[in-house]
Amino acid sequence: MRYLILGGGIAGTSAAEELRKRDAAAEIAIVSEEQHPVYSRVLLPHYVKGKIPRERVFLKKETWYGEQNIEWLTGVRATNIDVKNQSVALSDGRELPYDKLLIATGGEIRTLPFERRGVAYLRTIDDTDHLLQLLGERTGGERGGVYGGGFIACEFVNAFAHHSLPTKIAFRGPHFWSNLFDEQMGALVNDRMRSQGVEVLPGTLISDELFADCSIVGIGIGIEPDFSILKDAGIEIGGGVKTNEFLETNAPNVWAAGDIAEYFDTIVGRHLLVGNWMNAQMQGRAVAANMAGEKKPFQLVSSYATNILGLEIIFVGDVNRQAAEDVVVHGSAAAGGVTQMFLRNGKIVGAAIVGRNMDRAPITKAIQTQSGPPTLA
Amino acid sequence: MPKLRIKVDPDLCIGAASCVTIAPETFQLNEENKAYVLDHGAEPTPRTYERIIEVTDAEKENMILAAQSCPTLAIFIFDENEKQLFPET
Repeated sequence: MRYLILGGGIAGTSAAEELRKRDAAAEIAIVSEEQHPVYSRVLLPHYVKGKIPRERVFLKKETWYGEQNIEWLTGVRATNIDVKNQSVALSDGRELPYDKLLIATGGEIRTLPFERRGVAYLRTIDDTDHLLQLLGERTGGERGGVYGGGFIACEFVNAFAHHSLPTKIAFRGPHFWSNLFDEQMGALVNDRMRSQGVEVLPGTLISDELFADCSIVGIGIGIEPDFSILKDAGIEIGGGVKTNEFLETNAPNVWAAGDIAEYFDTIVGRHLLVGNWMNAQMQGRAVAANMAGEKKPFQLVSSYATNILGLEIIFVGDVNRQAAEDVVVHGSAAAGGVTQMFLRNGKIVGAAIVGRNMDRAPITKAIQTQSGPPTLA
Repeated sequence: MPKLRIKVDPDLCIGAASCVTIAPETFQLNEENKAYVLDHGAEPTPRTYERIIEVTDAEKENMILAAQSCPTLAIFIFDENEKQLFPET
């Protein structure tokens, strides 16, 4: 049996590890565009703040791959997938045959449409090294800029605050997560930033002039996977690579997992595209079980938590507001916290929680048990 | 049964809740969205980030799995001889 895994992040590596546990004799290969052993992207903000040394970011040593008898191809990517003859062409000219293929290539960050000095992204460890270099080059009196209204923008704001860099943030909508947050939640985040001295510019389009007074500009405007070779291969693409509840694509012997997978979630009853650590890691393990022949649906109420300048933000389950039939709101900006619960067919399917941490456990349980919205304190 | 010392570093914990998903009998989140440590679902002593727990081999394996799942490696597990089992040093 030859397993080929495209993507060396946490989904792909967890799958390889699980496949090896299940089959000592199988051939397993990981194709990784990055040169580094698997590392925790979630630890990158801790690394920026100096909470941990660089080496602590890595989850496996380089020697792990050899010890596990996993072929680890770095600095290469797939350029063509032939699902009929079951082989993948790589950017270095090689052709790799497979019996079973996993697509776990994640997403690529959207970048600015123009060049300028001092631009920083925060997807990879190389991005993070670059950001730390920019922070280290300061001589005094600099300002930092942030563009974006999501998780990565939060991390830039926190990192700049940690490094005592006066910050200006701009985003297109009226507030963070403008498709998801209501006005009260948006106000909580904007007010928190303003109260900590951040200049906040809502409703602002990105331009070269916007950050003319900033020596470092952090960009967090989302990810955008490259689907071109997958489409060419005849693999069904929606918002991500479409899979059923077993993480199988429409192509025979091809699976998907992690940020790129738009899987059918049996708990909430629709396809979900989820970009968080827990989902990627658990899907990696689950897809390996399915690739090894176990027919087991992937079921997880995943969540992600962060904070912006100490204000806690938690997403649980299906947080697509547009796909909800009803929204139940608890709390208020004046009370310091707001929770929005998203409902379909009378059942709770997801929630966004700002400054109300204790709502998380009852909400998670209610989603898992496919119940109505829980009573909150 | 082996005894393990389970410790969460609240400064590293971001409340991702992977540990709660895998080992809810050992980890739950507090008001600050940090994981604290339980002894088989109970708290025989006041709420704490660190506890010594008697476990079966299967429970031990699951706790290590929970620690491995933490995206900030905030969970530390030591055996009876104070040898750090995870993260591997």
